[in-house]
Amino acid sequence: MLEARDIAVSYGLHEALNGVSLTVDRGEIVVMLGANGAGKSTLLKALTGICEGSVSGDCFLCGQTVTGLKPDLIVEAGLALVPEGRGIFPDLSVAENLTLGAYPARARAVEKETLARVLELFPKLQDRRSQIAGTMSGGEQQMVAIGRAMMSNPDILLLDEPSLGLSPILCGELFRALHKIKETGMGVLLVEQNARQSLAIADRGYILENGRITGAGKADALANDPAVQRAYLGGAQA
Amino acid sequence: MDIVISGLLLGGAYALVAMGLNLQYGVARIMNLANGEVLVLGGLAAFWAFVSFGLSPLLTLFLIAPLAFAGSWAIYALFLRPLVKRAKSRGQLEVDTILATFGMSFFFVGLMVSLQAEYFTYSFLAWPISLLGSTVAANRLVAALVAAAIAAALYLWLNRSRSGLAVRAVAVSPGSARLVGIDVGKVSALAFSLGGMVTALGGCLISTFVTLDASAGVLFTMKALIIVIMGGVGDIRGAIIAALILGLVETAVATIVDPGLTLVAAYAIFLAVLLFRPQGLFGRRSA
Ligand SMILES: Nc1ncnc2c1ncn2[C@@H]1O[C@H](COP(=O)(O)OP(=O)(O)OP(=O)(O)O)[C@@H](O)[C@H]1O
Ligand SMILES: [Mg+2]
Repeated sequence: MLEARDIAVSYGLHEALNGVSLTVDRGEIVVMLGANGAGKSTLLKALTGICEGSVSGDCFLCGQTVTGLKPDLIVEAGLALVPEGRGIFPDLSVAENLTLGAYPARARAVEKETLARVLELFPKLQDRRSQIAGTMSGGEQQMVAIGRAMMSNPDILLLDEPSLGLSPILCGELFRALHKIKETGMGVLLVEQNARQSLAIADRGYILENGRITGAGKADALANDPAVQRAYLGGAQA
Repeated sequence: MDIVISGLLLGGAYALVAMGLNLQYGVARIMNLANGEVLVLGGLAAFWAFVSFGLSPLLTLFLIAPLAFAGSWAIYALFLRPLVKRAKSRGQLEVDTILATFGMSFFFVGLMVSLQAEYFTYSFLAWPISLLGSTVAANRLVAALVAAAIAAALYLWLNRSRSGLAVRAVAVSPGSARLVGIDVGKVSALAFSLGGMVTALGGCLISTFVTLDASAGVLFTMKALIIVIMGGVGDIRGAIIAALILGLVETAVATIVDPGLTLVAAYAIFLAVLLFRPQGLFGRRSA
């Protein structure tokens, strides 16, 4: 499981995160809700070792500390990120993107099984194996990005606003896929602005405001919280 | 026909050198202006081994490969990695490495002048053979064949193996490569060193049919740059085609017009490419 303690990040004088602590267990989906600029992407970057700012705090993965490790070693330890903007290899084929996902040593032994699982989850990738990833539609690229992250056989999967730019139908498909991923035993930390749909599939959630955690709880409790409803659910009934 | 065959043979050696620069620039993001000097160093090693010990350049290749690889790795680790660490953008890294490697090229020239101030003249397989009805020197044919074999091996490694795929991933997007667990720093060092190795091997081969001297490097740097830009940065297939075109044009101009004008012809193509296809012959789109 993933445990972050007291993470703080500043970009020069600007303090983007302060005292953020959270846990994500295997087999659960945790959603992190926050407005634009709240620091959601900064948090995921800090956890995966790719943040440009100065980071402090501790991060443990299954009891082992990953604080300050280089990003490739963090992936090796079992944390995989699907970044904002997807971060696929646009000039390489879908199959090559997926193969690269299994680059870490921890992924090699189970590569075949993982690939079968990814293709079962996203059957479209099977038909498009030899297509150049950059020529796919936004939704398909998101599948490649998630599939590639799954290929590294992570303990915890981090996703930065995967629903961004997807139609409501695709969005629904995506969240159902995440639910299936969780059932394989992977933990999922999902950063989202789409509060309604993400809370519906999540087990727990956190609210991030101006770089601080201001709320936490079970997903259904958050969905019924009047303050959350006002801020993230447009005041409507959840 | 003579022109076509000689041109293609010359282009084969150029292609190898361009692949070297492509690995260094396309993957490691280092614009290496000392590329030509590394090539001439390879030639000097071949000359020296041949004159001192009578060693065939084809055997010297096996000595040059590990030395050039290790030497390039050392240069990367000592002088270039600090620049890579410091650079805030790709543009800044380009400017810094151009200056650093430009300085390094003078160092190499000075070193080679002190080792061998005369032309590196030796004669290896200098007898004529006939090929498809035209006559070429055997050394040209052998050099082109060996260059093609090395280039093919490199191409297969890049396109068929997992480590080659990691190299291409860094070329496409270093930011994403680290997210799949690739040690971008290590792969960049590997690409730079392989590039240096391939360049020095190209120099060894070229020295069997071109008489090099300590200051000849800059011409080859220019040619490699022309080929890489014509073929498209990071595009190995484009570089090979561009190298063959350059070999053909240089040979044609030297035979039909005047040997003194080959460089002018090379620049003419270069300018034409920059004006009409700045993204390279097969360039997909601007990045
Ligand atoms: N590289 C950087 N340099 C300086 N400031 C940055 C940098 N990256 C982010 N910030 C600042 O940190 C704050 C948090 O940014 P972050 O990208 O984490 O927000 P976010 O919650 O992901 O927002 P969004 O929903 O728009 O993606 C913002 O004020 C942003 O301007
Ligand atoms: Mg963000």
